[in-house]
Amino acid sequence: MAGDDLVETRGLTKHYGAIVAVDRLDLSVRRGEVYGFLGPNGAGKTTTLRMLLGLIKPTAGTATVAGQPPGAPSGLARVGAMVESPAFYPYLSGRDNLRVIAALTGAPAPRIDHVLDVVELMPRAGHKFSTYSMGMKQRLGVAAALLKEPDLLILDEPTNGLDPQGMIDMRNLIIELGRGDRTVLVSSHLLSEVEQMCTRVGVIQKGKLVAEGAIDELRGEAGIYVRAQPEDQAKAVLERILGADAVKPDADRGFRVTADPGRAPEINRELVAAGIGVFELRPAERSLEDVFLELTGGEMGL
Amino acid sequence: MVAALGVEVFKLQRRVAVWVCLGILLLIVILLGYLLTWLVLSHPSPQTAAQLPRGVTPEQLKQQIYPAHFVQNTLSGAAQLGGVIMLIVGVLLQGSEYGWGTVKTLFTQQPRRLHVLAAKLLAVAALAMVVSAVLLAVGAGTSYLLATIDGARSPFPSGSTVVKGFLALWLILVFWSWFGVALATLFRQSALAIGLGLAYALVIEGLIFGIAGQFGGDPVRQVQQWFPLANTSYVVGSFGSPSPVADAARAHPYRDATHGVVVVLLYCAGFAVLSGTLFQRRDVTT
Repeated sequence: MAGDDLVETRGLTKHYGAIVAVDRLDLSVRRGEVYGFLGPNGAGKTTTLRMLLGLIKPTAGTATVAGQPPGAPSGLARVGAMVESPAFYPYLSGRDNLRVIAALTGAPAPRIDHVLDVVELMPRAGHKFSTYSMGMKQRLGVAAALLKEPDLLILDEPTNGLDPQGMIDMRNLIIELGRGDRTVLVSSHLLSEVEQMCTRVGVIQKGKLVAEGAIDELRGEAGIYVRAQPEDQAKAVLERILGADAVKPDADRGFRVTADPGRAPEINRELVAAGIGVFELRPAERSLEDVFLELTGGEMGL
Repeated sequence: MVAALGVEVFKLQRRVAVWVCLGILLLIVILLGYLLTWLVLSHPSPQTAAQLPRGVTPEQLKQQIYPAHFVQNTLSGAAQLGGVIMLIVGVLLQGSEYGWGTVKTLFTQQPRRLHVLAAKLLAVAALAMVVSAVLLAVGAGTSYLLATIDGARSPFPSGSTVVKGFLALWLILVFWSWFGVALATLFRQSALAIGLGLAYALVIEGLIFGIAGQFGGDPVRQVQQWFPLANTSYVVGSFGSPSPVADAARAHPYRDATHGVVVVLLYCAGFAVLSGTLFQRRDVTT
């Protein structure tokens, strides 16, 4: 394992009979980053996280989590996790559920109130888990994951089932938790969420990692959006200036050209000089959504 | 391991469903085993008197609910009914972990899986010990109360008999509760485990050997001596019957208590090994 990788998988594979849930996954999560594990529903995100936590055994491949094999007690001591929906004892209060976790992890009792404070659940801490809303359940899940002051936090779709305000609160909480040395691995099918929270992203599709890198890297080179008419003449001028490979027609009857936005005045001059009407000329960044759609062949979440 | 045991006891103490089950058990054992018998025999109807074996009076039958026989009387009621209730308790305590998904929460903390299971089994065994003690204590108290009301003199059995009775009841309740834990672990849920467990406890073994016994005689008993219900009955039967009109099988069990204890212990060990193997090796898919 590389020194800075808190999670590393090599050829990680999980079969359920004939179904390949995860297919030779090579993943690396570096210390201190907020890593977004992005993919459509059913892509294999949760199965991967389950393997990383030792809940299920891989069919093939290897993984190390916090320097240990998945599920090893010494590794789990450094990992806080919430996989799928938060699972707690419905007949116990939020605080008592955390007492259970604290006893198992050796976390000191005062830490319980601290994490309840962090997730802003203190006013309802004495109420039974069964009476909690979805948002409160998710926050208790995060509180439980934080109890042992983990180096690595693994959160599986933490905003699932939350209302818009709950999603914003959870997102802000994760951003806050990711500050400093803590590493966060968060799975999601929500592009906007990952874009706002994460420093690096791995995109999984049908069990395979189709891309991994910093968000800016994935977006690729900066470009310019051009809408001009007549279109065929505009295309010819753009190809003459920038090369044929740099010009791609856009769905809005414009062009996305790969070029430094600083060249916009030059492009404008050339188009006007050729008698072409320029309707729109602006810097154009590829959104993560564009990248995601490209990588997953159009299959995406919300 | 100690922390995991503490957690199991903490959860057990706060689980209302468990205490409801045990309250019902206590109520039924006292009601059926003592109070109803006392009421019926204190005020026998002509039909009741007519159904008594020749030469047996209601007063003689009442001896079974007095202190001298409280161990046998409590054992004969609590071993079967208590077994069924403890089976349900064992299933609930383990099956709910799968139903709520908390098994996943437990496994993503630090403890080893086998420690979690061992803690669960020990907590259930401790609960069975408390239940056994309470049942016998309440049985003793009720029998004393009824004898006092009737003005009857009936000394309590020796301390060794009481201790043996307690250990026997504890063993039987541990057997059933661990059977419940094993079934819940096997099926990773409560409903199917309770259904099959109750079917076995109430129907399957009794039915099979009931029918086979009509045709097979001794060879059938040879086989039956290795089955759990038969062996719990050998253990209970070794204390003798509290009733002067006991049936022959109860009066003379096919095998002695030692055989029964060893076989029941082997079953307990088997359930622990089965649960441990499944708990340790299987994927957590809930």
